[in-house]
Amino acid sequence: MSAALALTARRGAAGWRWAAPALLWLGRLILGLAIAAAVWEGAVLAFAIRPEYLPRLSAILATIAATPEAYVAGFLRTLLETLIGFAAGVVVGVLNGILFLRAPVLRDMLFPIFVVSQTIPVIAFGALVVLWFGNTLLAKAVIAFYLTFFPVTVNTLLGLQSVDPRQIALLRSFGASGRQLLLRLMLPAALPQIFVALRLGASLSLVGAIVGEWFGDTTGLGVILLQAMYTEQVTVMWAAILCAALLGTGFYAAVSLAERWLVFWGAEQ
Amino acid sequence: MTETPTETARLLELRGIDKTFGTVQAVRGLTLSVPAGEFVTVVGPSGCGKSTLFNMVAGLDEPDPGGVLRFKGRSCHAHELLGRVSFMPQRDLLLPWRNVIDNAIIANEIEGADRKTARARALRMLPEFGLTGFEAQYPHQLSGGMRQRVALMRTFMFERELMLLDEPFGALDALTRSMMQRWLLDVWERHRRTVLFITHDVDEAIFLGDRVLVMTARPGSVKLARPVDLPRPRSAELVTSPEFIAIKREILAAIEEESMKSFMATGMRAA
Ligand SMILES: Nc1ncnc2c1ncn2[C@@H]1O[C@H](COP(=O)(O)OP(=O)(O)O)[C@@H](O)[C@H]1O
Ligand SMILES: [Mg+2]
Repeated sequence: MSAALALTARRGAAGWRWAAPALLWLGRLILGLAIAAAVWEGAVLAFAIRPEYLPRLSAILATIAATPEAYVAGFLRTLLETLIGFAAGVVVGVLNGILFLRAPVLRDMLFPIFVVSQTIPVIAFGALVVLWFGNTLLAKAVIAFYLTFFPVTVNTLLGLQSVDPRQIALLRSFGASGRQLLLRLMLPAALPQIFVALRLGASLSLVGAIVGEWFGDTTGLGVILLQAMYTEQVTVMWAAILCAALLGTGFYAAVSLAERWLVFWGAEQ
Repeated sequence: MTETPTETARLLELRGIDKTFGTVQAVRGLTLSVPAGEFVTVVGPSGCGKSTLFNMVAGLDEPDPGGVLRFKGRSCHAHELLGRVSFMPQRDLLLPWRNVIDNAIIANEIEGADRKTARARALRMLPEFGLTGFEAQYPHQLSGGMRQRVALMRTFMFERELMLLDEPFGALDALTRSMMQRWLLDVWERHRRTVLFITHDVDEAIFLGDRVLVMTARPGSVKLARPVDLPRPRSAELVTSPEFIAIKREILAAIEEESMKSFMATGMRAA
């Protein structure tokens, strides 16, 4: 996979021409966020909404600023669980896709089992995983993995199956081996489809990590969220939600950016 | 066959080749032989099995058992020709994530050539293919004519004695097409490969070829093999010369007969 990605990543200095529109886009994004923040703050003040229902944004930020270490530690911990689970899910999903393409027998045997595994509610699955792996970082990563690998498997297989057979024939006529076909044609061609699953997996793996933390742990955004719920510290709960939103959005944005960089040719053909 | 080339000079030979897809017989009793260095053009009604012929010679499809396929004087299976023939299919099939240079060297990369050396060689060939300055462009940034030239360059870069070109100019407008024909002859005269060239344009077939093969309606076989004894290098005015017209009349008559046959056949099925 990395060889194929490296091949597609090579590009000229044309990248700088994106700079101006990118800055414009960033400016609009910041403006939008500022307006949303102002509306939030203003609405809470204007309608005198009680902090149990919705604290002021400034109060939430102040809460974070008071003990930033706790939030930073929680953020990093949840990020790590998410990333490990996501990465493992992507690797296993892509390998599954390739395997299923090559061995339809295996696909027919294993695919139904995968589907059944996905019908188990993530909460029940989380309980099982904690039974097996204890309250470790690994347990959370496994849940994130469980939510990621399936969509990646399906989309990789879909992408590989929809490669233009005429393109395969052309490369075969040049004497390409199965491995060359895979690395130089099929994986790059399946990349747009694989990225559909990666964007989905970016959100799902975060959900997996946070749900995993609910089964008991000492650090993590999920832990902060749960403790705040029990102790009815509404501002802390909102602070955790804000951090989770930041993590989720940042991760999704990173995946989308990688997609724009790697799948630069667009949905041609 | 009109001529009888000696065993060694005969690069490709097909005798009594059949090809059936399910219930459809695409090719029946196809016999042809191509001496080394010859430019052979193939015309025939659409659906008569021209692309099928190419797929077999490129090694992608195995003919039905029974026929004889010989390459460089040796009898062989079609799949043994994979990697030994330079094949350009009907569409350019450029890889959208590779720029012009990297598309041109894909076949060399596959045969294990050093990428840097191949790139340097491709860079030197760019002017000849009218692509100077476009080396870093991606296929979606190119016009149809340019994409076709990149595909041709890819075919030429893969240096094999036999080149198969399937309607390479089929999608181009008339003006670009006649420019490309003269350009191709120019390149061919310098590189001297054996060429099998499919077209549905009779003028193009005569203008380019040393010999024009007219195929029958499906199931395809060779109906007429007409040598084109016009001098080279050929210029654009050639197409209006009496010799050219005479050959054209003969070939058109053969095609007309076959087109009528296939038209009648489909007409009868529909009725
Ligand atoms: N892979 C295939 N499967 C089934 N039928 C095919 C296949 N390839 C070609 N044919 C049929 O064989 C006949 C000849 O096709 P082709 O060689 O593409 O014709 P053309 O002379 O237009 O290039 C057509 O009737 C086509 O439908
Ligand atoms: Mg065809």
